[in-house]
Amino acid sequence: MSELRLSSIETRGVPGKKRYAMVIDLRRCIGCDACMVACKAEFDVPLGVFRTWVPYRVVGTYPNVRKQFLPRLCNHCDDPPCVRSCPVGATYKVEDGGFVLQHYERCIGCKACMASCPYNARFLLPKHRTYTDITGVVDKCTFCHHRVTQGLVPACVQTCIGRARIFGDLNDPASEVSRLVATLPTQVLRPEEGTKPHVFYIGADRSLTEHGRAVYSAPEVLDADRAAFNRNHKG
Amino acid sequence: MGDYNVFHHMPWSGAYAIYFFVIGISAALFFFSALSWYRDDFKSLRTSAFYVSFGLMAAGGLLLIGDLAKPMRFLNILNPFYLNFTSPLAWGGLNLMSFGAVSVAYFYMMRKKDDTNSRRLAVIGSLLALGLPIYTGFDLTVHQNRPVWNSPLMPVLFVAMSLVSGAAVASFLAGRNEKLLATLRQFMLWSAGAVGAMLVSLLGTTAYGGAGQELTFMFMTSGALGAVFVGLGILLGTAAPIALLLAPYGRQQNGVLLAAGLILVGGMALRYSILVGGQIVQTYF
Repeated sequence: MSELRLSSIETRGVPGKKRYAMVIDLRRCIGCDACMVACKAEFDVPLGVFRTWVPYRVVGTYPNVRKQFLPRLCNHCDDPPCVRSCPVGATYKVEDGGFVLQHYERCIGCKACMASCPYNARFLLPKHRTYTDITGVVDKCTFCHHRVTQGLVPACVQTCIGRARIFGDLNDPASEVSRLVATLPTQVLRPEEGTKPHVFYIGADRSLTEHGRAVYSAPEVLDADRAAFNRNHKG
Repeated sequence: MGDYNVFHHMPWSGAYAIYFFVIGISAALFFFSALSWYRDDFKSLRTSAFYVSFGLMAAGGLLLIGDLAKPMRFLNILNPFYLNFTSPLAWGGLNLMSFGAVSVAYFYMMRKKDDTNSRRLAVIGSLLALGLPIYTGFDLTVHQNRPVWNSPLMPVLFVAMSLVSGAAVASFLAGRNEKLLATLRQFMLWSAGAVGAMLVSLLGTTAYGGAGQELTFMFMTSGALGAVFVGLGILLGTAAPIALLLAPYGRQQNGVLLAAGLILVGGMALRYSILVGGQIVQTYF
């Protein structure tokens, strides 16, 4: 594994260190969005923004069509560009476990981390929230760090009805994620960016993971939706 | 179709483009003010260029702070325990504040008529001014996932755009000083030419890049940004002023000022479209 490591921040394959990862088996995902709901409930994620979300693409020719789901979240990269780009060190990587987390009290809201993330995993929290005073800073999925350190799995993994999401320590050869990554063909999103993402997909078609050409001529209804979104979510 | 995805924000809005624009002009005007200590034809620009440079730097700084989601935390940039030097923003923040401090000292020395120290500060300030467009370019370049931005051309392109926009503003400050206008015309011509050459390279590499780059090229040329980038930025703001400055009319004062006006429109359009162009496709991912 050592030949994969290019920078000192990477912890995959480092003896004595944990390196958590998630495997998402797309053959098992039914698009029920329970993971999104569990995440929203766990973190009181505001309306309009998501720590995890489940986009889909309809593929095939009628009548033989189906929805391909691609659950998304922060990829907790081994070499995360967001950590590099934050001017005040508000984004950091936990060495033991590989979690990429936020110091909310340091974040100045410059959005450099959002610009640097190839996965759109980051978002700006609104200026007013009901139950917490964490406002106006950048937020993202934490791999449920608070749960994992208590020996639990992330909320989305816990709730997944089809057991499509599997979580564990990739540095432990006996873990389920290690076995899956070692024995099945897996894909990661945008490997060409060199971020070493730690969310692995089983059964992801490249038509799902690439930029779709359809965005150039998006239907007008999408423009109206986007305009409404931008009007209501100025960050 | 039948695709579904949640919407994503463009992290950096048009306010950043305005910041890039004013800070580029501010840097170049400081350079012209500093040049006045070494070249007589720039002498009439010494104070006027400096005042405009200082005003634009202050406006740019406020714009940058105002665009932060937590404006009062801009002081975190000054905290040595927080600073992360792998981020160009950290270098940029320090560069901007050093430039501001040197500008204040330069103003003080000029008022005191201390030519020796003014001259020294002019050189130091010019180097810091050069750092401003360079760091803004690096701000974009380092994001490896962004089409258009992730090009080694960016810092150099921003230096050239800074020079051409600064020379355009300076030509409005030059009045009827024909010798100075002739020099500024040369500055505009060469730096606009450099901008044009770099844009051709940038478009070429973007058009032949991966899926995201190709889509970005389409958005920037024939899509939502086509009118701003190609129409205002390239044709009206770069090609037309070059043609105008090369024509006999472009050697007269009115011709230079007309070209300067077009260059300023183009400078803003180019910065805006480069900033937004690098983000459009990603919002759909």
